[in-house]
Amino acid sequence: MNLPFPCGQRRRVASRRDFLQAAAGGIGGVALTAMLARAESALSANSLAPKPAPSRARARAVIQIFCPGGLSHVDSWDWKPELARRTDQPFDPTGKLQFFASKPGNCQGSYWPFRQHGQCGRWMSDLFPRLAACVDDVAFIHSMQSKSALHGPAMFMANSGFILPGFPSMGAWVTYGLGSESENLPAFVVLPDPRGLPPGGVINWGAGFLPAVHQGTTLNTDPEQPPIADLFPPKSFVGLTPQGEASGRNFLQTLNRQHAAARAGNTELDARIAAYELAARLQLSAPEVTDLRGETDAALRLYDLDDEDTGPFGRQCLLARRLVERGVRFVQIYCGAENTTARKIRPNWDSHEDLVRDHGYWGRVLDTGAAALLHDLKARGLLDSTLVICTTEFGRQPGAQGKGRDHNPGAFTAWLAGGGIRGGTAYGTTDELGFQAAEHPAFSYDLHATALHLLGVDHERLTFYHNGVPRRLTDVHGHVIKEVLS
Amino acid sequence: MKAAFVLSLLLFARPAFAAPAKAISTDWWSLKPLVRPVVPQTGNPIDAFIRTKLAEQKLQPSPEAEPRVLIRRLYFDLLGLPPKPEEVEAFVRESSNGNRESAIGTLVDRLLASPHYGERWARHWLDVVHYGDTHGYDKDKPRPNAWPYRDYVIRAFNEDRPYARFIQVQVAGDVLFPGTRDGVEALGFIAAGPWDFIGHAEVPESKIDGKIARHLDRDDMVVNTLQTFNSLTVGCAQCHDHKFDPIPQRDYYRLQAVFAALDRADKKYFADAKLTQRFAELEHEQRTLTAKRTALETKLKAAAGKELELLDKEIEAGSKAKGGLRPEYGYHSAISPSQDTSKWVQVDLGRNVVIDRVVLRPCYDDFNKIGAGFGFPVRFKVEASDDAQFKSGVVAVADKTGGDFTNPGTAPQTFKSPGATARFIRLTATKLAPRQNDFIFALAELQVFDSTGSNVALKAAVTALDSIEAPPRWRKSNLVDDIAPPTDNSAALADLRAKRDALLAKATDDKTRAELAALAKDLERVAAELKTFPKPDVVFAATVHYGSGSFAGTGSSGGKPRVIQVLHRGDVKQPKDEVVPGAPGYLTNLPGNFELPADHSEGERRAALAKWLSSPDNALTWRSIVNRVWQYHFGRGLVETPNDFGRNGALPTHPELLDWLAVEFRDSGGSLKKLHKLIVTSATYRQTSATPSPRISTDAENCYLSHQNRRKLDAEAVRDATLFVAGKLDLKLGGPAFQDFVVEKPEHSPHYEYHLHDPEDPKSHRRSVYRFLVRSQTQPFMTTLDCADPSMQVGKRNESVSALQALALLNNGLMVTMSKHFAAKLDAAGGDLNAKVDRAFREALARAPSPVELANLTTYAQQHGLANACRVLFNLNEFAFVD
Repeated sequence: MNLPFPCGQRRRVASRRDFLQAAAGGIGGVALTAMLARAESALSANSLAPKPAPSRARARAVIQIFCPGGLSHVDSWDWKPELARRTDQPFDPTGKLQFFASKPGNCQGSYWPFRQHGQCGRWMSDLFPRLAACVDDVAFIHSMQSKSALHGPAMFMANSGFILPGFPSMGAWVTYGLGSESENLPAFVVLPDPRGLPPGGVINWGAGFLPAVHQGTTLNTDPEQPPIADLFPPKSFVGLTPQGEASGRNFLQTLNRQHAAARAGNTELDARIAAYELAARLQLSAPEVTDLRGETDAALRLYDLDDEDTGPFGRQCLLARRLVERGVRFVQIYCGAENTTARKIRPNWDSHEDLVRDHGYWGRVLDTGAAALLHDLKARGLLDSTLVICTTEFGRQPGAQGKGRDHNPGAFTAWLAGGGIRGGTAYGTTDELGFQAAEHPAFSYDLHATALHLLGVDHERLTFYHNGVPRRLTDVHGHVIKEVLS
Repeated sequence: MKAAFVLSLLLFARPAFAAPAKAISTDWWSLKPLVRPVVPQTGNPIDAFIRTKLAEQKLQPSPEAEPRVLIRRLYFDLLGLPPKPEEVEAFVRESSNGNRESAIGTLVDRLLASPHYGERWARHWLDVVHYGDTHGYDKDKPRPNAWPYRDYVIRAFNEDRPYARFIQVQVAGDVLFPGTRDGVEALGFIAAGPWDFIGHAEVPESKIDGKIARHLDRDDMVVNTLQTFNSLTVGCAQCHDHKFDPIPQRDYYRLQAVFAALDRADKKYFADAKLTQRFAELEHEQRTLTAKRTALETKLKAAAGKELELLDKEIEAGSKAKGGLRPEYGYHSAISPSQDTSKWVQVDLGRNVVIDRVVLRPCYDDFNKIGAGFGFPVRFKVEASDDAQFKSGVVAVADKTGGDFTNPGTAPQTFKSPGATARFIRLTATKLAPRQNDFIFALAELQVFDSTGSNVALKAAVTALDSIEAPPRWRKSNLVDDIAPPTDNSAALADLRAKRDALLAKATDDKTRAELAALAKDLERVAAELKTFPKPDVVFAATVHYGSGSFAGTGSSGGKPRVIQVLHRGDVKQPKDEVVPGAPGYLTNLPGNFELPADHSEGERRAALAKWLSSPDNALTWRSIVNRVWQYHFGRGLVETPNDFGRNGALPTHPELLDWLAVEFRDSGGSLKKLHKLIVTSATYRQTSATPSPRISTDAENCYLSHQNRRKLDAEAVRDATLFVAGKLDLKLGGPAFQDFVVEKPEHSPHYEYHLHDPEDPKSHRRSVYRFLVRSQTQPFMTTLDCADPSMQVGKRNESVSALQALALLNNGLMVTMSKHFAAKLDAAGGDLNAKVDRAFREALARAPSPVELANLTTYAQQHGLANACRVLFNLNEFAFVD
């Protein structure tokens, strides 16, 4: 897709259209492409013709729920009866292990009892009673591992495939590869936790070396604020009227067209004119997404919007559904903010000192919103075409750290549901205590390869040349996990 | 699916991704020695090479651009700022008098002499070296001392330092140019990139994650250096031999060995090199003495045995029990280098009071792990008097100056008054409390009870010999605010401390006692001399780090480089052969072996690499830099991939021109200003950007430069030009970065809140090169405009167009605010609306409006205000592009 060395004479010719397609990846990519096709028929006939759509696509959109801080698999999705049996016995009798922040304490079984659920009979803990009812739609990957036990690098790996900052996130890659289905909304939207950004900040949804147009657009979940930064001028700006705005834009575009007419053949100028048209459309469509007045009471209740604790995340989930309904390609929701100690509840899942307190709180939050989302998508017939992913940057240790658990990059669980996923299945296992992945160890590469596959994209062919390397989301790794596909 | 589906061509899906069977050949254009090519025509050599190629392609060059187009192009290219209308008109006049060449020459000389030239070109350089003002990663702490490196780069461009020296000083300035400011500040280059604070400060080198963090830290140093100066992707050889270029894995690790002693940390220095030297010596002595003292104390502790260990544990546990600690700690004296200094603090009760008792309540502060009893004086006295100066009528309430007072922890110390009647109570410390290598005196609360049992000192006026006023923790008024740490276990703690003192005294023989006393004296002397120094300058740079705990650095081993081994598959768990430091071996005429003596210092390694990089025989170095400069003048380099001259990169479109420029630049002293002048005065550069008609289909990308490229302004140029046109740009040079955000929750993971910043804040109206660059939360407005991401090396910025860009330019607080200021500036200049609109065009676009444009924009300004009209101008394509 990107080897734009037309002047290097070694690869191929003509890359201006690559520029345009890159530009088209953001809001209203299709519209932009179409407009330019009309405006720029002078460009050769093949230049803007749509490429064949991928035939194997099983999902057209992705909603990824990210639980930063490290969600404990042994207290939630990964049933470890042996760990429960060994509770209070030394976890590491040799005394050789050294965790991120502590020496391992005794084995500590799940703080919540596990039960079998659904037709499939998979085990889940009581931390997630509502999600347990969705288990027949969910496929678990129990053998996830990370290359880092530190939040920052592990977050980067989970989102971009590299433990270094500066690489494009999965949402940016997907947008780059597939463009946008929505004419009026950004293709990649992020809903951060209202408390703050996750470890590593906006890099988690950055475009890295891809053009800025592919970065995730943050949607403000505060209903009092405009949904997107700079969507409208500040209220303090004098002389501001809707008519004034419209006529200003018309006037601007008239001048821009005159300017472009005298400079025939400059597609960047035309692209920028089109971008202003799309901006005007976004001013109408973005507020419509966040305006929940059209939602039924039942829907609002489903997402528990009035609850002080679960309401904000419920709102993020509901907005994710509305965005996908309107053609947004990739939505990322954060269930948790930065990791830091706190007197009451930690602002994310990083439960070093009191796991029952912090996972108890966040568990209820995730359970309510995510279960509502799965139910709602299913009821609307959207689940078949929407891939839902729930993941974290690493798991937590089976050995205790006081009343909490330390970081465990050796094992954690991610789950998928919806578009192209065979529900009620599981892939990979951890050892009997949940310390290390045992069967089929998997990394972010495999999860990303599988998600791209379901979108109809071959992860090995989605590349972008940067500083000497044709980069991929999956680096030089990654296998599609066929076992969880329907 | 409606969207156009695009995937990469199969060109890179090479089936043979397996390791190559034999070494990759050095037979590659960029690795060949430089030979000055023959210039094919007379005249400006650049034009000669370009025109020869055009002729081969049967293409024609374009005519020269209009003067007003040319001056705008030159201003943005060389300064990153627009020309003023007067400057435009003067240049147009001079050019039309038949003196075009000299008009251009004069203009170019003037622009290159401007200090704003350095700001513009430093920004390009900072893209390449991924400079930032925070560490990045989790917690993303600020790096408040990064800016001296940025200022060094600006200075180096403005003073046109020879490029070879520019390289040397950034890689090994401390060794090759000792005692110079440049030599210290330029080392910010090695430290410019992100740094994993958690991976270094919280995880020691002994743990796997600590090892990974340090390995990746060196990787960043290696890649930054080689990609910047040699445009090769050596980082690809981290896990295996480079697949395409002749860089064996061993060469990569030899480069890591060059940087193996270094860490990224704050480095202190003075403008006067002698001071820097003496300061470093003293700090070294202080570290050595402290280490000796620690060793002696460790020996003592061992001698005191298990009993002491148990006591220490009890004391530590007791000191931590500090429940309910309030942020108002107390009064804190100034810091003193010597212990036997007298300091006093006193309260004014406002009237004569019959004093029953005085109660001293000690502080609690975790600083240096001191905890309970922080700052409580070792010897002191309490006195009462009616004389505020304590010169007459002084009554002693307590006198503890005769011997050392065991630290009481947080237990209140009560002293019964001998029936004194007085207005002032003074506490004088005659022997201060030890802190780290200095001494202080602190107290949480001073209470004075009268006979009715009421504390008459509450809210009294407090005076002191000196005080550190750092609210809320420390200030004089905290002494009488009724806030003191809880006292539950303090008596017990005091007992434990007394026991400990006795135990240690018993274990100490006379020799050790004498040694300890001598050490204390030496430390006091060092601290006293250090105190005489002015405040040092600080730069965040590569340095041998003298740390402790997890982030120890190599300082304690005298800066001995860490052992570097080849890591199988780049895995720190699979170290193989140890390597010696060296440069890569890809240049056949310039060996990479350093031939250093066995006892060489770490600095010699970097000096050797710096010399190798800056050697006249290093063809990549000279090709790389002239290509970068060309790229910023034409929008595309002669090699389209500025950071990759290897087999994965692009080929040069004009190899002879590239080599000619490289040789010319190298042999005429490495002057970038001369290179700029050569380029921008060429006919090739001065061509119009209008696409030749009929459209040339054979060179749609304009590889052969049959016309100049129309270029979109980068984020900094848009922001700076907007401020400049609005009359608000503060052109102050250098200094700490300005912040266009508000920091919330700074103590743990700072939240950098851009939306809370007031765009009217004049401190933020400086050029964008001085912006504080946050890695984890990049500035949304600038990021949307394709600003470089400081997390990665950007050899060439992306150029994208999006609706979000349009919204940012229309609605961002800065743009709207500057529209208002632009209008106010026009209003202030007077005239009717027509005149103002005419002026607005000239300021924003360097041209007069056409009669129709003037009429239309004037009507618009009448209806919607002049500020809105200015906003339209800022959003024009014509404003955002340079023809």
